[in-house]
Amino acid sequence: MWLPLIGLIIGIIIGLKSPSLPQTWAQYMSVAVLAAMDSVFGGIRAGMEKKFDDTIFITGFFSNVLLAAGLAYIGERVGVALYTAAIFAFGVRIFQNLAIIRRHILKK
Amino acid sequence: MALKRGQVYVAIVMLFLGMMIAVQVRTTSRLQQLSPSTRVQELTSSLREVTDERDNFKNEAQDLRQKLDEISAGKGNVSEAVQDELEKARIQAGITAVRGKGVQVTLNDSPKELQPGENPNLFILHEEDLLKVVNELRAGGAEAISVNEQRLLSTSEIRCAGNVILVNTKKIAPPIVILAVGDPDTLSSGLQIKGGIFEQMKAWGLVAEVAKKDNITVPAYTGNITFSYAEPVK
Repeated sequence: MWLPLIGLIIGIIIGLKSPSLPQTWAQYMSVAVLAAMDSVFGGIRAGMEKKFDDTIFITGFFSNVLLAAGLAYIGERVGVALYTAAIFAFGVRIFQNLAIIRRHILKK
Repeated sequence: MALKRGQVYVAIVMLFLGMMIAVQVRTTSRLQQLSPSTRVQELTSSLREVTDERDNFKNEAQDLRQKLDEISAGKGNVSEAVQDELEKARIQAGITAVRGKGVQVTLNDSPKELQPGENPNLFILHEEDLLKVVNELRAGGAEAISVNEQRLLSTSEIRCAGNVILVNTKKIAPPIVILAVGDPDTLSSGLQIKGGIFEQMKAWGLVAEVAKKDNITVPAYTGNITFSYAEPVK
């Protein structure tokens, strides 16, 4: 249970030490952050339902991040705010997963 | 054991998540520091400051000139000749408006529609054209010249600055109206002479017109005249 928290703390430390990104990347980062949060919540939910699969989890994480950043990139190129699609999808999923996690915790 | 491995993966993802959030927070806080709205405010306030300063200087200049007028008018013991000389010097210096016979010159960019592939630089009025016209007027004996309400002094510049022309450090833009006091016939024929400046300008399609006037008023110079380096040799 402690391992993910330690990972988060190390990640924050790395993020604080690393050079900051150019302004234009901020948009990609925001959707990437959302994708990562979606994966984490999805993983916790799967773990609670006892059907956690590490391969699905890790590939899901990277494909989510890449697709979200790719959508943001293409959206910027064509002048359409495509990244809102990613934000919408991940946002809905995060709340759904959170609701399911909450029910699991309450049923215990 | 499967859960243990799962925890490692979750930890890796959390590591990325933490890293991205931290970077994002730092980027955002940096952006707020140099957000455009504060920059705009800064520029607005500095513009206001400079405008106030300019107005103060203008008032000061007017005040000083008024004092000079009072001194030159009020003293009875100042002889006629000195008065006359002072008036002449003031006309020469451009700090008093003058009127008389002269010409009105109107210059403008080419009204022609630009064809694709043509260089627009060729069809707009440049500071060189303006300089040549002013030079021609001076050669024709103009006694006072103004360009778009800017009186030309001995220290005036006519200079290109980006897409505008500066005269007395003020921006002017076409259409340009030049007023010159002098002999109307000499001035206008000087400009319209064959192979002269007007012919050159018209070859590029620029608008160049001169009108003889019986009574024109050339405005006075409104800025401050200061000498920081030059001093008279005694």
